[in-house]
Amino acid sequence: MSGNSLFYKEVSVGDELPILPIDLTSSLIVAGAVASRDYTPVHHDKEAAKAAGMQDIFMNILTTNGLVSRFVTDWAGIDARVTHVSIKLGTPNLPGDTMTLTGAVSDKDDATSAVTVDVTGKNAWGNHVTGTVTLSLPAGG
Amino acid sequence: MPTTLKDQAAIVGIGETEYSKNSGRSELSLASEACRAAIKDAGLTPADIDGMTTFTMDTSDEIEVARAVGVGDLTFYSRTPHGGGAAIGVMHQAVMAVATGSAKAVLVYRALNGRSGARYSEGVSGGPTTSDLIHWSWYMPSGLMTPASWVAMVTQRYMHETGCTSRDLAEVCLAQREHAVKNPRAFFYQKPLTLEEHQAARAIVEPLRLYDCCQETDGGSACVVVSPEMARDLPNPPAMIRSVAQAAGAHQESMTSFYRPTLTDLPEVDLVARQCWEMSGLGPEDIDAAVIYDAFSSIVLWQLESYGFCKKGQAADFIRDGALRLDGRLPTNTHGGQLSEAYVHGMNGVNEGVRLIRGTSSSQPAKNEHVLVTAGVGVPTSGMILGQI
Amino acid sequence: MAISGSEREAFEKQLEAYVGLDIGLEDIGKDRVNAAMVRHWCEAMGDSCGAYTDPALAAESVHGELVAPPTMLQAWILGGVGMASDESDPRDKQKELHRIFDAHGFSGVVATNTEQEYTRYLKMGDEIRARTVIEEISEQKATGLGIGYFINTRTTFRDQNDTEVGWLTFRVLKFEIAEVPVAAETAETGAPSRPQRLRPAMAHDNQWWWECVDKGELAIQRCSGCEALRHPPRPMCGECQSSEWDFVFSTGQGTVHSYVVIRHPEVPGYTYPLVVAVVDLEEGTRFVSNVVDVDPGDVEIGMAVQATIELVDDEMKLPVFRPA
Repeated sequence: MSGNSLFYKEVSVGDELPILPIDLTSSLIVAGAVASRDYTPVHHDKEAAKAAGMQDIFMNILTTNGLVSRFVTDWAGIDARVTHVSIKLGTPNLPGDTMTLTGAVSDKDDATSAVTVDVTGKNAWGNHVTGTVTLSLPAGG
Repeated sequence: MPTTLKDQAAIVGIGETEYSKNSGRSELSLASEACRAAIKDAGLTPADIDGMTTFTMDTSDEIEVARAVGVGDLTFYSRTPHGGGAAIGVMHQAVMAVATGSAKAVLVYRALNGRSGARYSEGVSGGPTTSDLIHWSWYMPSGLMTPASWVAMVTQRYMHETGCTSRDLAEVCLAQREHAVKNPRAFFYQKPLTLEEHQAARAIVEPLRLYDCCQETDGGSACVVVSPEMARDLPNPPAMIRSVAQAAGAHQESMTSFYRPTLTDLPEVDLVARQCWEMSGLGPEDIDAAVIYDAFSSIVLWQLESYGFCKKGQAADFIRDGALRLDGRLPTNTHGGQLSEAYVHGMNGVNEGVRLIRGTSSSQPAKNEHVLVTAGVGVPTSGMILGQI
Repeated sequence: MAISGSEREAFEKQLEAYVGLDIGLEDIGKDRVNAAMVRHWCEAMGDSCGAYTDPALAAESVHGELVAPPTMLQAWILGGVGMASDESDPRDKQKELHRIFDAHGFSGVVATNTEQEYTRYLKMGDEIRARTVIEEISEQKATGLGIGYFINTRTTFRDQNDTEVGWLTFRVLKFEIAEVPVAAETAETGAPSRPQRLRPAMAHDNQWWWECVDKGELAIQRCSGCEALRHPPRPMCGECQSSEWDFVFSTGQGTVHSYVVIRHPEVPGYTYPLVVAVVDLEEGTRFVSNVVDVDPGDVEIGMAVQATIELVDDEMKLPVFRPA
């Protein structure tokens, strides 16, 4: 990714972010769990996941958070600072599915150059994640 | 043997449980508590009850409730199908039983864990292959599976034909919320609603928005029906049943009568209305207040037309200036209705009808000579007119 | 069945004692914030933001130097492989609370919400530690998963200077597992993980119609007595009472008589918003199905549509409509 960033003044309420589909592979789920040092068995051990009532391993929350943050900063650029993430969790992310992230700017705060983005990550079973990410952007000249 | 059901029976006792989102107990427990309260309110004892009736959809058997409540010998019991359409159908059963001498005192009840248990909003699926399930099968593959979706289909066509808008539907919700705000039993007690909030709420199934849809409630309601002679000796002023009727119409389906020449026609409601007026000798001009079945806001409008309070297609005009409010032409759903008090499949509306006749509603109109109470729409349905003794 | 009466009162009293408690353990990061763990994270997430992995780009940016992805905050203090064992620190009040729920039948657990605030981005070399407080336990709630209670916890993160760098909250539902989850059943049968639409119930009066659909035809039942067309199929003609019938195939051409846009609830296997219409077929009967490949705002009563029969999931065929 380049150093290009959005300026606060370039962003309007209602702006939509580029859609980001994420292929949910076992590799991604395990890599995310390991990178977040979350070795809870249901995120890497299929038998443990089955014992917990799921048909396969499923994505941990930190990975969901990491993907949501990536989705927003891919759009906003290197000079954005994420200050707040608030998410509601829904249907699990399982291997073989696809999660499609969509988002739109829902609020702007001129005092802090902060924008709020509403984010939804949907898989075949419904909404995996819905919520908001707040980030401050450079004001721009 | 009487040749009419007019004034052959009266409601002398009403009872209900708390209405909640999570009762934490069985539906049988709710039914028993509501029944016990209704018997007590009537000034009777369980041993006086010899008839019982409820909905086919109720999970609490008459004999189970009877044992729990202490009711002994029963000479009459029956069930009425089609969800909310049964709400006055069960009253029809009770009146026929009393009028024919099949029973002297009939307990009518309905109890459900409609929020913490099986929720109607989650749609239909599964179960044994009955003609009923095959009926729903025509809509499951395309995802038309919830009461809101079936009613929205007719609402869309109605709006197209009459020019009624979502803001007109909102007036039904706002008028009823105004009543609920004063009713401590209501889910929306002391919680007003504005037009802006109604319009800003999320769509459930377009064109219906959140507040156009009824509550989902855990709770039970019950009442006791006896003969006028017996009613005279009991403590509460009886609500005389001037008329009571059931009807199914041509090309009737349960909730999905999509194949009628005119989709927005409700011949079954028209037929109940005609019977109610003919049996009682009354007309719309004689009705002082109403409890109109309101699983969804739009169905209130259609019933106002079928019962002749206004011409077909003109209900939005009729209510626009506040006809449903306490000081309006027809104070309606003075308990808040199922939109704002609780959803007990219409049986909480029967109890409100009795309160209106007694003069004890939390939104009591000055005049209460006659009250109309109706049951479900889009299904085989029913209705009754209550009056003073 | 959920506990009730005095047993529930005693249980809820026991819960109250945990509200406001620090869980009794401090989580101390085993490694300082470092470029290797950040790179592993960015690889997993597919995050190519230069502020995390490219020193030159980071130096030019508002961050001024390499920083860690903010959502990685909790990763700095998680336990690693040790988390996979069943053993837990006996001082851990949060685990103790969960065991109390388990013992009263609320053995299900699912995280429903999380909220995070980042006071500053972490830099290489930062040392992170965290403490967690049980903030709130809800009253008993009826949820889609079953009856249960929500537990809110708040974890506050501090650096080597004891300065707060951020916090996170978790809302977790402890619930009574109502029945065998559908997911577990499909695991047994090896069913596909992709959700399927609900299947119609089949019996004598309608099975032939679905067999026609499987062959690619939208059939309409026709009375052999009076030739009246009827749908949905039934065993006798309402016009002439004949029980004899055959069928014709519809051209699939029609107009929208009414329609809805379904937004709630979202049932797995269907795509929302979902448009369903009552369509007047040119043969004179009506048929109800989806209108697809159209913006819901563009559907209107009177619109001409054409049915085609296609797969709507892995196996089921259905006639669906498109604008003609």
